[in-house]
Amino acid sequence: MVSIIRKGVENRKLVHKNERCVGCGICSETCPTSALNLGPVLPIARGLLEMDYIKINDKNCVLCGLCSFACPFEAIVFNINGDEAKDFQNYPNWDDGTQIDKNECIFCGKCENNCPRDAIIINRQLPDVKDLVRGEAKTENDKCINCKICEEMCPSDAITIETDVTNINATEILIDENKCIYCKICQRACPENAIKIFCTTCMNSDDIPKVEITGDIFLDEDICINCSWCEHVCPTNAVTTVKPFEGEIFRRDDVEEDLICKGDSCHACLDVCPCNAVEIINNKSSINPDFCVLCGACQKACPQNILEVKRTSMKLNNIKSEAWQNILGSIIGK
Amino acid sequence: MTVSINSEKCGNIANCPGEGLCIKLCEQGALIDDNGNLIVVDENCDDCDLCIANCPNQAITKG
Repeated sequence: MVSIIRKGVENRKLVHKNERCVGCGICSETCPTSALNLGPVLPIARGLLEMDYIKINDKNCVLCGLCSFACPFEAIVFNINGDEAKDFQNYPNWDDGTQIDKNECIFCGKCENNCPRDAIIINRQLPDVKDLVRGEAKTENDKCINCKICEEMCPSDAITIETDVTNINATEILIDENKCIYCKICQRACPENAIKIFCTTCMNSDDIPKVEITGDIFLDEDICINCSWCEHVCPTNAVTTVKPFEGEIFRRDDVEEDLICKGDSCHACLDVCPCNAVEIINNKSSINPDFCVLCGACQKACPQNILEVKRTSMKLNNIKSEAWQNILGSIIGK
Repeated sequence: MTVSINSEKCGNIANCPGEGLCIKLCEQGALIDDNGNLIVVDENCDDCDLCIANCPNQAITKG
């Protein structure tokens, strides 16, 4: 994390938060005083160099704050007199974002597993197994020979054989009714018929209530980059994502014959992509536009320089001055 | 075609700001550490240009 602070009529502060930064370089391209430099994205992403993606030259920085508004990932925080400038009415703001409808969420965990930024945390309460089955387990401890076959085979890990101090003789067959599903494996495996299982789950199925999973889902908006993985994998359409840019990304070697993607040898694009949008298929880079946020980090990292990002619109609004419209408009090539 | 190293710019692994970054980046085994000296193994090079693009000394070129 790098901070630049200067005191004048206003107290202004700029902080680059590397944990939110994706290494796209939009900020450094926007900076009017060339105070921001994008570092070697690929070696950093691969963990070969320990440094931040962005280096700020405090001698050049005039604390105008443009970079913080250009960044679609809120990786640069700009404060004026202690308050975040993005909350001020006269400054631009990003209208992209991800919403999760908690009423629609069934806490399946697909979004949590697929989120490339680990921005989603699900906490769910599952019902007890014993509430979903019916039955009875009967044991005859004096028949038990302490072979522990039942203990080893029980698929629910519900059986424990208690032994005496010599550890040779069994004293009790303990079946945990919170785990037992009355499957009868133990009964069938026991060489001494010491266990009897009566399963009445099917017979009583009408009395067993339908399972309702409860829980909570939390989206860390500071880390989320609105790649829409969650939206695509959600089975109940509980997620709505608005991406920062519209446009396209393509490989120029598809149309220009002298350019070649080196696929498996290189995979720089795959390593730097913050959205897990890249796969190497048949030794060529394949970028899934569904998950791509058009940040352009891959374009910077590609040593063959064959990736091209074309942004046609962005969700950065409320740009008041013409000067800022020009400079921020350059992000989408306007 | 393969890559060549400008020895004046390279300064070898001991003086590299990336501690032999090109060797770490090349997964083809085309750049190897031979007792602190950088060696190019031509037959392993796939011309991906990762080393050229990322050398902190700009010491690697084509041909």
